[in-house]
Amino acid sequence: MPRELPPLSHLQFLALGVILSNDEPGRVIRDVVADYGVRRTGAAFYQLMARLERDGFIEGWYEPIVVGDQAVRERRYRITPAGSRAWKHTRSFYETVVAAAARGRLSNA
Amino acid sequence: MRDERLARALTALLPRRVVADAFEPAWEDLRVAYLIRRQPTKSSLGRAAQRAGYLGLTVLLFLDCWRLAIISWIRREHWRPVIRPHPGITEPKQTERLHMFLYLVRHAFRQLVREPAFTVAALLTLALGVGANAAVFAVVEAVLLRPLPYPSADDLVILNHRDKQTGITKEFIAIGDFLDLSARQKAFESIGAWGRGETAFMDRDDPYRAEVLGVGANTLDLLRARPVLGRSINADDTRENAPRVMMLGYETWKKRYGGDPTIIGRVIRMEATERQVVGVAPPGFTFPPTATTDIIIPYQFPTVAPAQRKSGWTFAMARLEPGRTLEDAAMDLAAMSRQFEKEFPQQNLASEYYPLGLRTALAGNTKPALVLLLAAVGVVLLIACANVANLLLARSLGRRREMSVRLALGAGGGRLVVQLLTESLVLAVVAGTAGVLMAYWGAHALVALLPRSSDVPGLNDVRINGPVLAFTLGIVVLTTLVFGLVAALTVRSEKAVGALNASRGSSIGTRARRVTSTLVVAEVALAIMLLVGAGLILRSFAALLAVDPGFRTANVMTMSVQLPTNRYRERGPREGFYAQALAEIKAIPGVQDVGMAAVTPLTGNNWTSPFERPEQPVAPGERPPEVGWQLASNGYFRALQIPLVAGRLFDDRDDANAPAVVIVSEAIQKRFFPNESAVGKRVRLQGDQTAEIVGVVGNIRRAGLRDEPRADMYFPFERNKPGQTTLFVRTASNPEKALPAVTAAIKRFEPNAYVSDEQTLAHVASESERVTRVVLWLLGVFAATSLALAAIGIYGVMSYAVRQRTREIGTRIALGATRGNIVWLVLRQGAVIAAIGTVVGLATGLGTTRFLSSIMYGVKGTDPLTLSAAVVLLVITIMLACYVPARRAASVDPATTLAEQ
Repeated sequence: MPRELPPLSHLQFLALGVILSNDEPGRVIRDVVADYGVRRTGAAFYQLMARLERDGFIEGWYEPIVVGDQAVRERRYRITPAGSRAWKHTRSFYETVVAAAARGRLSNA
Repeated sequence: MRDERLARALTALLPRRVVADAFEPAWEDLRVAYLIRRQPTKSSLGRAAQRAGYLGLTVLLFLDCWRLAIISWIRREHWRPVIRPHPGITEPKQTERLHMFLYLVRHAFRQLVREPAFTVAALLTLALGVGANAAVFAVVEAVLLRPLPYPSADDLVILNHRDKQTGITKEFIAIGDFLDLSARQKAFESIGAWGRGETAFMDRDDPYRAEVLGVGANTLDLLRARPVLGRSINADDTRENAPRVMMLGYETWKKRYGGDPTIIGRVIRMEATERQVVGVAPPGFTFPPTATTDIIIPYQFPTVAPAQRKSGWTFAMARLEPGRTLEDAAMDLAAMSRQFEKEFPQQNLASEYYPLGLRTALAGNTKPALVLLLAAVGVVLLIACANVANLLLARSLGRRREMSVRLALGAGGGRLVVQLLTESLVLAVVAGTAGVLMAYWGAHALVALLPRSSDVPGLNDVRINGPVLAFTLGIVVLTTLVFGLVAALTVRSEKAVGALNASRGSSIGTRARRVTSTLVVAEVALAIMLLVGAGLILRSFAALLAVDPGFRTANVMTMSVQLPTNRYRERGPREGFYAQALAEIKAIPGVQDVGMAAVTPLTGNNWTSPFERPEQPVAPGERPPEVGWQLASNGYFRALQIPLVAGRLFDDRDDANAPAVVIVSEAIQKRFFPNESAVGKRVRLQGDQTAEIVGVVGNIRRAGLRDEPRADMYFPFERNKPGQTTLFVRTASNPEKALPAVTAAIKRFEPNAYVSDEQTLAHVASESERVTRVVLWLLGVFAATSLALAAIGIYGVMSYAVRQRTREIGTRIALGATRGNIVWLVLRQGAVIAAIGTVVGLATGLGTTRFLSSIMYGVKGTDPLTLSAAVVLLVITIMLACYVPARRAASVDPATTLAEQ
C-alpha cells in the first residue's frame, strides 16, 4: 500500500462519507459532522465544503424547496468520481494504519 | 421580504468569494431553520421573538464571515515572499515588493493576535489619542475650516465699532457713520446693511411666523445671491417712502406657496404691513449662515447722513476689493474713523470702526477655545505615542533573539526597521479605524457641550467627512512614524547579534533604557503642562462662580414676549394687555415679583446711551461719555433683587404723560456726582430734553460675569410699554414650575402673543460661561488621561528596570539591605524621572499659559497654588506608579536569585 499521507483531512473524510451514496443538503452533512463532535459555525462549515468543491471532490448546487408557505433554497452536494477516489484512498490509508497498529508493526507498515 | 434586504445589504459589505462560499448557503440554512421553527408558533409575540432571533443570527453570521475572511487572508499561502538566497544582489520586482509588503502586514497581524495584552493596551491608548483628536478636529473643521456658503466668503467682513473711552465693542454701527463710510471707503467693493427680525404671514387663516433678513441696496450682491425668480432688492427699494416689497426665501416659496411661478407681483399681508413679492432667493440662501430666512425686506435709509448720526443703528458687512487685505481695510476704516472724529467730535470722538473676517465674527469666543482644545488633544496624542513607543520598544527587545536570527540569516538592518514599521502601521491603522468610530460619537458629544449660539457656523452640521478622515489618516501616518521609528531605530542600533549569545532571554539595553526614560520624561513634561492648564481653567471657573453679578439669579424665569404688531400698534391696547397679564401672573401661587426689561443681563448686550449733565455740558469738540442703556420696569429691580441705594424705583406715575425720569447705577453716582446725591439731578436726553434722576440702584455686571460693573442708566418701561419685551418672574421655589401658568396667563389675554426663549436666569448665567466650562471639562479629561498614561509609562519603565536589576537587588538584600532600602532605591529612580519631567514641563508650560489668557479669569499664568497642586498631584501619581515595582523589588528572594546566578 502507498505510504503517502491521505489527500483528505478527517473532517473532509467524514463529510464526503455522508454523500458517498446519495446527494444531501449541506445542513444534513453539517448535522452528521456535528454528531461526531465537530461543531463548526455555518459559515466555517460551508467554507470547508467550498474548498472541497474547488478541489473537485464534490459538486454543489442550489435547489428550491418549500417550507410552510415560503419558497426557499438549499445547497445540496454530490460526490464526484475524484472525490470517491480520494475517499477510498483515505479509507485504505486508515485501514492500513489500523491493521499495522494491530500487528504492532506500525513502523514497517 | 425585509430579511432578504438585510442579507443583501450585508453581502454588499463582504468579499465576494466569502459571500458565495460561506454566507449565502449558511444564510439559506438559517432561513430554512427559522421557517420550520416558526410553523407551530401561533402567538404574535412568539413569532416576533423568533424573527428577532433569526435576524440576530444573520448579523452574527455576517460577523463570522468577516472573521473567516481575515483568517484565510492571513493564512493565504501564495502571498509568501520568494525566498532569495542572496538578498540585495538583484533588485526585487515590483510584484515581489507588493507580496513582501502584504506578507509583512500579515505577519504583523499575527504578532498582534499572538500578544493580546500588548495589542489591547496599545490599541486602546492609540484609539483614545486618535479618536479624541479626530473628534475635536471634526468640530474645528465644521466651525473654522469648512467654507461658508457664499462665493469667496473669505473676502466677506463684518464691520465693528469700538468706543475707545470705555473699551466697549459693538457689532452695530450708527446710521450716519454707515452712510459716510459707504460713500468714502476704498478698501471694499461696497458696504451692505443687514439685520434680523421676525414677522408673520397673515394672508391666510393660518398665520405663519417668518424669520426676516433686512438688507441694504447692495447686501445681496455682496453675498452673490442671485434670485431664481423675479429680481433682487435694489437701490430704489431702500429709499425712504419707497413701495414696500420683499423677496421670498426659496424654501418658504416652495413650502408655503407650492413653488408658484406666478408669485411675482403678488401682494402679501404681513403682520405689520402689506408687501409685494418682487423675487425669490436662491435655494438655501440665508444670512448669517445658521439663521433661517423666510423673507428678505429692504431697509430704508436716508440718502445722506442725518445730523443726529446715531439716530439709528444697523449691522454692516462688506466684501474686500480684489487684491485688498483685511489689514488694508482696517487701515482704511481707522483713517475714516479719525476723519469722523475731527468732523463730528461731539458724536464721534473716540469712536473707531474696524473689520472682522466673517468667520471670525461668527465663531466668536469658540475659536480660541477650539484651537486650545485641538492643541491640548494633540498633547494627549503625543503622550499616547510615547507610551505606545515604549510598549513597542519593550516588545521589540523581547524579540531580540528573533531579530538576531533574521540578521544572521541575511536580513538587512533596514529590512528589520521596515518590518517593525509595518507592525506599527498595522497597529495605527486598526487604532485609527477604532478612533474614527470614537470620533463619530465624541464629536457629537462635544457639540452638545458647546454653547448653542445661533451664530456659530457649522456647529449643527459636525460630521465625519472627507477632511476629517484625511486628518485622521494624517495622524495615523504621523503616529506610525513617531512611535514606530523610535522603537525600530532603537532596536536596530542594539547589537542584536550579541543577543543570540545571551542566555538569559531579553534584558533591556542601555541605549533602549535611555530612550524609554527620555520618552517617559517627555510624557511627564507634557502631562504637567496639561495639568497646569486644567488647573488654571479650574481656578478661573471657580473665580467666575464666586463673582457677584450684583443681582440674584436664583428662582428667576425669563422669557421673551412679542405682541402682534397689527393689534398693538397703539399704546392703549398695550397698556391694557400689560395691566391685565401682569395682574394675572402676580396672582399665580409662588410668584413673588414680575418685571420687564429690554435687555437680559449676562447676554453680552452692549447697548449704550450718552450721559451728560445739563449744568456741566461737555466742552465743544468733546463727546459725552457712554453709559449702559436699559429699559426697565419697577418689578425688574425687585425680581432681580437689584438693591435700591437712594431715591425710588419707577412706578405707575412715570407714564407717558409724566415728566421724564431715569434711574442710575451707583457707578454713575460715584463718577458724575462724587460729592452729592444724584437723586433730583437732571441728565440730558436728546437735544434740549432732560430727565430727572429719581433713584440710584446697585451696580450689576450687565454684559457678562467677566465684565467689570459699568455705569448704567435705566429708562422707565412704564413710559413706553413696547410690544416686545423680556419678562422676569421671581418665584418662591423652582421657577420652571410656574412657566406653564405664566404662559397661559399671557395667552389668555392675547392668544397670538409669541412667547419664546423661556429659560431661568441661572441658566442664562451658566450659558454665559459655557465655553469656559467646556474647556474646563475637556482640559480636565485630557489632563487626567495624560496623567494616567504618564503613570502607565513610568510603571512600565520601572518594572523593566526592576526586572533587569533583580540580581543586583538580590545581592543587596543578601548583603543586609532592608526592604525600605530597596523600595527607596526604586522610588528614587522614578523620582529622578519625575523631577526632570516636571522641571521641563513647568518651564515649557509657563511659556504656553498665555494661550489660555482669553479663557482665564482672576488668576495669573504663574499662579503658585495651581503650579504646586499640579506638581503634587503628578508626584503622588508617579510615586504610586513606581511603588508597585518597588514592592516587587523588595520582595526579591536573595537565595533564589543568587542560586540562578
